[in-house]
Amino acid sequence: MIKVTINGREVQLDKQVTILEAARRAGIKIPTLCHFEGLEMYGGCRLCLVEVEKMPRLQTSCTLMVTDGMVITTESEQIAAARRGMLEFILTNHPLDCPFCDKAGECELQDLVYLYGGTEGRFTEPKAKHPESNVDPILARNIERCISCTRCVRMCDGVVGASAISMINRGRHTVMEPFSGGKFDCEYCGNCLTVCPVGSILSRLYKETYRPWQVERTVRTVCGHCGVGCSYDLQVRDEAIKRVIPRIGEGLNRGLLCARGRFGYEFVGAKDRLKKPLVRRDGNLVETTWDEALGFIAAKLSEVIKTHGGEAVAGIASVRCTNEDNYVFQKFMRGVVGTNNIDSAARMGFSGAQAYLESLRGQGVSANVIAGLAKSDVIFVAGGDPTMVTPILGLEIRGAAKKGAKIISLDPAPGLEFFNPHKIVPSLFAEGAVLESLLCRAVSARGMTGELPHLEEAIRAAVSAECAGVAAQSGVPDAEIEKASATISGSQSPAFVIGPDIVQRADGNRNLFLLAALSYVTGGRIFLLSGKANEQGAVDMGCLPDTLPGGRPLAIDGFRKRHEDACGMSVPAREGLSLMEMFPAMADGRIKALYVIGENPAFNLPGGNSIKSALEKLDLLVVQDIFLTETAKMADIVLPALSWAEKDGTFTNLERRIQRVRRGVNREGREDWRILCDLAGRMGAAMEYASSEAVMSEIARVSPVHRDLHYSDIEAGAMQWPYHGEPLRGEASTVSLVTASARPTVGSGRFALLVDRPLFQSGTLTRRSKALLKLIPKATVKMNPLDAASLGISGGIVRVSSDAGSVELEAVIDSSVQMGAVKISNHFEGAGVFGLMTKPPVDPVTKAPAFEGCLVAVEPLKGDAKS
Amino acid sequence: MKSQIADELECVKAKYPAERAALLPALYLAQRKYGWLSAEAMDEVSRELRVPKATVRGVATFYAMYRHKQVGRNVIQLCTNVSCMILGAERLVDIIREKYGVEPGGTSADGRFSLVIMECIGACGTAPAMLVNTDFHESLTQENIVTILEGYR
Repeated sequence: MIKVTINGREVQLDKQVTILEAARRAGIKIPTLCHFEGLEMYGGCRLCLVEVEKMPRLQTSCTLMVTDGMVITTESEQIAAARRGMLEFILTNHPLDCPFCDKAGECELQDLVYLYGGTEGRFTEPKAKHPESNVDPILARNIERCISCTRCVRMCDGVVGASAISMINRGRHTVMEPFSGGKFDCEYCGNCLTVCPVGSILSRLYKETYRPWQVERTVRTVCGHCGVGCSYDLQVRDEAIKRVIPRIGEGLNRGLLCARGRFGYEFVGAKDRLKKPLVRRDGNLVETTWDEALGFIAAKLSEVIKTHGGEAVAGIASVRCTNEDNYVFQKFMRGVVGTNNIDSAARMGFSGAQAYLESLRGQGVSANVIAGLAKSDVIFVAGGDPTMVTPILGLEIRGAAKKGAKIISLDPAPGLEFFNPHKIVPSLFAEGAVLESLLCRAVSARGMTGELPHLEEAIRAAVSAECAGVAAQSGVPDAEIEKASATISGSQSPAFVIGPDIVQRADGNRNLFLLAALSYVTGGRIFLLSGKANEQGAVDMGCLPDTLPGGRPLAIDGFRKRHEDACGMSVPAREGLSLMEMFPAMADGRIKALYVIGENPAFNLPGGNSIKSALEKLDLLVVQDIFLTETAKMADIVLPALSWAEKDGTFTNLERRIQRVRRGVNREGREDWRILCDLAGRMGAAMEYASSEAVMSEIARVSPVHRDLHYSDIEAGAMQWPYHGEPLRGEASTVSLVTASARPTVGSGRFALLVDRPLFQSGTLTRRSKALLKLIPKATVKMNPLDAASLGISGGIVRVSSDAGSVELEAVIDSSVQMGAVKISNHFEGAGVFGLMTKPPVDPVTKAPAFEGCLVAVEPLKGDAKS
Repeated sequence: MKSQIADELECVKAKYPAERAALLPALYLAQRKYGWLSAEAMDEVSRELRVPKATVRGVATFYAMYRHKQVGRNVIQLCTNVSCMILGAERLVDIIREKYGVEPGGTSADGRFSLVIMECIGACGTAPAMLVNTDFHESLTQENIVTILEGYR
């Protein structure tokens, strides 16, 4: 126990902290400028000076650690004079342009000068002049105002690990600059913006359009982009989001944000948001009333059900909608329509992968806390760059690496490049061989515990007795694998981060099996990356063809009966069709009507024209969305829903944490669940809830996992798996494992088409966010430098053709793309990667589509390609 | 695509416990190869040492002896500090300016010489003195400086 005296008060501390921290704990505020919670110590601004008895000069309280018996004074005439002097020094160059500085009103320097004085400077030299830099599309840089506190650099370098900016030059010429000296060209997380105490780094999204005190509402909510679920505040004025700001140290992101989260909100106010219901008349979608639209759907849907039965209807839930929306949707489909044909885009990899992993290792196996990554000593990353798919989880991995954890990356992860990763890059699609070899070695190094007999039996059947040579077909030398294996075997707490790329394979299940087995044998935790805000929620709410809310298989009569009793509606016994099975069923007429909420299958699913032609065959296509998407354009009825910023509810993130989404903006349109309840009423079923909270109350009653979970619990922090509920015990007794047949071979001018998942774009929403659009304005095709050179391509426009069609795109040379592959994102209208894919194979176990079968030819277009 | 400085850098890296520690000599190496630290040169050092390029630039701009502008084929570093100044170094600056058309801090139009005015280079006893590239020349006079510089093409 350390005892110190601060301003005459005795303070007891259980461990050594800085004087600043000790004072803060005692409720004494010491002014600071360069200090910032979570950043490396610096001691540059000299404002936190304090008197310490028996020490000669004033001391910087942010760097000096307390020792037992220290007597400290934080306010005195001498200290005030010193602080005033420091402020006077800062103001020798800092302009007094507060009247038109964006930061005025929330500027730390302004507040301190107000408190201590120092404006009447004694220096006669003119202030240094630096024109404001506005060359960057997102961030403005005003160096005149910079006080060289280096918070931004310490944030970028020490916390984010992007290291995109630095202090350049020396002495009074020191300025903060990105490498280029102009544009930032960074990850655009904007965390430098959070920490800047003055108006030196400004967001161009809202610069000069508001004053901090003009914000009308500040609403705490959860980000609507990826599956990490960062908390932040929406600041609203005139029913428009003015800005997104994090709360320092709060939420699982602890105040950090990424580019999509911080700058990707402009879609909410996009001009092409749907406002009125649309109905198709004489081939055109025309505006109509809610009453007419819902009446039309009720009549048409009832007719389909009457003629063809409930199973002729299918529903696609949304990985962007709340748990409440998705719960009501599956209830509507099961109870009112009478079908289990419910799935969501989580089927693209996440849900099937999770279900399969759970069948091997138990329910909740991927429900691991993201912050726990920091405690891992080895992190194995496979199937995607976590710093792009789920940026804040990526930061956690970087943080662990900084603390000494070893990173092993199977396939390239450019965002981890500076964190000393052990990179294993097998030949295209040959990750399985590497994993098998690793598993074989892990089994011989560690043995097995006997905890999960069914899994161990499968492992024994899967690994060969001789470990060496297994990986020969992957092109990775045995020594490399041996090295990685030694790292994993020597680990106390390995983590396995599984991205979508390794799941979306014809034998994705085998990759998953090997990863699950490897994590089982080595005692590792699994993190399953999720690119959308509520993929996990859609799964947990039972938007699956074979599972009821709370992860109970509907094939088991007992579970189904109990569910029927709890929600008061009957549930058909037969399992429904999964997402990729729905379209062939539409094509051959088994499905007559499709109800889609917040999803865009015509664009977001692989299969190109086969998806569209299947949709065309439908008797009824209903779409609830916020934009007139490619699918909505084909619909018979389009209903304007609300975005995540406009409704209350909850999201469940990839670690299965449930968090509150709160309405920040009021706007035309209705919550998806309200629309469905209204419709149910018109179809003669009673589904009425007063609010989203009432929906959650029903979920808490119906789902055995979410038992007794209410908004008040979620807000109080009881939002982590398994809540108050019961995960399903007992795993499958048999392990399904299907190995893919022969893969298509690349080469002789044919490249494997892969999905690009960049940091700044994620599709429908981000391409309507102006700021993010400036960072990636159009679709490109990325290729390996050697492949490009062999085709004589060094940029310019190229034509990429597959069996499904061709697109002309700008070529980008990128050494992180594997040889033999080209990458295109699925974000831009008319140039989506999925449009180029003819019917993709589907993994028989996870039912996820595989993206390896599509071969494309790439040719430079004359005149555009540079030699 | 092997980097131009990669081989020599391997020898430098071997002397240090961590790649990052070799940053200063690596920058110096790059400067010797390219004459100055262009963005490309710093990028190359960044890739070779796996140190982020903004960090590389921060370090490179902190130290005075790294060059951030294109220089001529030969760099004259002429001292004009007290001893050299008393013994006529300023006249030598004029001679270089007139003969080769290069201003202090600038480069001649033909790219042959760059002139850098130095503070003391530690040769007060034999002032005036200068460095041309890495060669040291002392006891300069208005006559011999031209002869010396003519030796550099």
